[in-house]
Amino acid sequence: MSLRRAPLTAAAFLAAGALLAGCTSGSAATPEASEEATGEITFWSSLSGMADVAAAFNASQDDITVTFEEIPNGANGGYTKLSAAIDSGTGPDVVGVEYYRLPGFAAAEQVVPLDELVPAETLGEYGDEVRELVTFGDATYGMPYDAPPLIMWYRQDVLDAAGVDVPTTWDEFEAAARAVRKSDPDAYLTSFFTNEPQLAPLSWQAGGQWFGVEDDHWKVSIDDEASQKVADYWQKLIDEDLVKAQVGFSDEWTADLNNGVVNGWVGGSWSASSLMTRTEAAGQKGKWVAAEPPSWDGEETGALSGGTSFAVTENSENQAAAAAFLEWLTTDPAAVEARGEAGTAYLAYPGLNDVAEKVAPTGYFANDIYGVFDAASSHLVGGWSWGPDFDITNTAMTDSVATAPTLGDALDEMQSATVDGLGQLGLDVTE
Amino acid sequence: MTVRTDSPTQRVVRRRPIRGTGGRTATLFLAPFFGVFLVSMIAPVVYAIGLSLFAERRSGLGFGGAERVFVGLGNYADVLSSDTFVGGFGRLALYCLLYVPTLLGVALVLALLLDAAVARARRAFQLLLFLPHAVPGVIAALIWAYLYTPGVSPFVSALESGGIQIDFLSVHMVLPSMVNIAVWEWAGYNVIILFTALQAVPREVLEAARVDGAGEIRAALAIKAPLIGAALGVALLFTVIGSLQLFTEPQILSTATTAVTSTWVPNMWAYDAAFNRNNLPQAAAASIILAVLAGALSWVVTRFTSKGRS
Repeated sequence: MSLRRAPLTAAAFLAAGALLAGCTSGSAATPEASEEATGEITFWSSLSGMADVAAAFNASQDDITVTFEEIPNGANGGYTKLSAAIDSGTGPDVVGVEYYRLPGFAAAEQVVPLDELVPAETLGEYGDEVRELVTFGDATYGMPYDAPPLIMWYRQDVLDAAGVDVPTTWDEFEAAARAVRKSDPDAYLTSFFTNEPQLAPLSWQAGGQWFGVEDDHWKVSIDDEASQKVADYWQKLIDEDLVKAQVGFSDEWTADLNNGVVNGWVGGSWSASSLMTRTEAAGQKGKWVAAEPPSWDGEETGALSGGTSFAVTENSENQAAAAAFLEWLTTDPAAVEARGEAGTAYLAYPGLNDVAEKVAPTGYFANDIYGVFDAASSHLVGGWSWGPDFDITNTAMTDSVATAPTLGDALDEMQSATVDGLGQLGLDVTE
Repeated sequence: MTVRTDSPTQRVVRRRPIRGTGGRTATLFLAPFFGVFLVSMIAPVVYAIGLSLFAERRSGLGFGGAERVFVGLGNYADVLSSDTFVGGFGRLALYCLLYVPTLLGVALVLALLLDAAVARARRAFQLLLFLPHAVPGVIAALIWAYLYTPGVSPFVSALESGGIQIDFLSVHMVLPSMVNIAVWEWAGYNVIILFTALQAVPREVLEAARVDGAGEIRAALAIKAPLIGAALGVALLFTVIGSLQLFTEPQILSTATTAVTSTWVPNMWAYDAAFNRNNLPQAAAASIILAVLAGALSWVVTRFTSKGRS
């Protein structure tokens, strides 16, 4: 029962403020026993706009002072920096970690279980599909922040010119891709990112499950039937020159968006801000629409594309204060408001998306994008797991997508590299 | 200065080895070097060797914490059995095959041209040639990545409007593209080495050649080039060792094209192991393998070039 008491008391202290703050000083040295939520903590994240969020928190109360530091994102070495910092004892108290990377930090015991720090009621508010992504063994290692659904973005004017509607099935998607090519030989419906292939969310959406637990073993099935179906589908589009295979987030891609060469994006809800920044100067305001991913068999399904949770590191000497900030950060509307339009966040905690919608640049788009996000989220398929160490799979994915003859072969290579890599770590793996 | 202020008794002690002040002064002057060398070179190597003999072993599903176990040469076996690591050496060899002759050829020609040029133009050219080397490698790679990228590069669009379609970042072109960056960056540096050697070529030998009727080209090829063999050897050594460490150019280009994978050359493999896959022991093993190879190769090259001289 002490599991729950600590955070509740912490909240009480937070409310009572400075009055009680001095009485229990010194307990920070034993974090588990700490019952006060005061003091200074550090906070690292690679998400844009988080500096404003930390500043808003500092302004909202006097007990806890958060020092924010922006770190590079995962692809640019942010997790390396974080991992090294935690190991050397200089890590932050609170940190943002994407869902795919959280198991690695949890397994290395670099982040601590939150079950004793955050009220169970708060954790219980999250949907199961999201909760599963931060729960390993019986412990919760992160507070889900956003739950960005896989979203398709299209140039409505280009679809109109090609005489097609927003595709609702993958067959229609292929037909639309063909129609766009036909109406303008230089134009593509969308691109396929060879550096950051959306193979995981697309497979997830198709009903694939790359990792699972079976008889206390990790079951790796990256090359399962659903994923192979996805790989073969996109390979066909690439082979027939119906989508443009290119490096995502590159200068070339941005130029293609601006010049109308690429007219769609298999992205996420987070794409909105990014899309606006990249295409606003080209006068594309009011031309883009968001849509749910097409379905395979007529039944709508959804997946997450990325997403971040916030965790408390084992370096934290003031876990009570860290947890208080963590809770505010992930569940308080003020945190969403403070971030402004930097992220176009689609948040995991219920009730926050009304606020998110108000601050997001929704006016740039031709349809109700948050309505689409809501619909896509409601069709989220549960049971997805990122496995114990997705970095192994990630490296194999970028390498094999670039070098394997087909995407199907790439999946096979990813499967064997993952099984070998996890085996080398000493984990129990089955295929 | 410290020698002068020694007290007489210390002097007696110092003289005892009879060798004079040479040994001690030398030690004094060398100490800072060896101090830094020990801390920044030997210690990390020893640490890396130690690291490479252990591995983190988790068990079951992996959430019970990791255990550090001694695996002997297990990491080396894992690294050497990795297709991507071994494949990296193939790419590296291909790169060397293309890069080393091109660079040395270009540098030699430029040095000979400089040597033949009039005195005033020489200074200006020397500076101009050296200028690219003053650009940090990362910046150079970024600039070139921009120049290679279709859609944004003025260079590529100019070629396209001239009817020439080249994708500098395609699977087949990316290696020559990379060689081009490295040559652009390193040619000036090697020109300086070779040009300095050319300055030392005895003028009377050249005069004799000229009297015998050799023109500028003949003198350059038959007299000057053979006489700077030693300098060429040094340049070769630096170039070969440098290419073994190939990292910056492919790492930067990998963000612009998927033709360069994240484990494209052995150094990138080690980097990926350490910083993406969080497997420090494997990264250490890969680095040690690379270091041993670099050592062996430089031994071969020095032996080869010094033999050539004698």
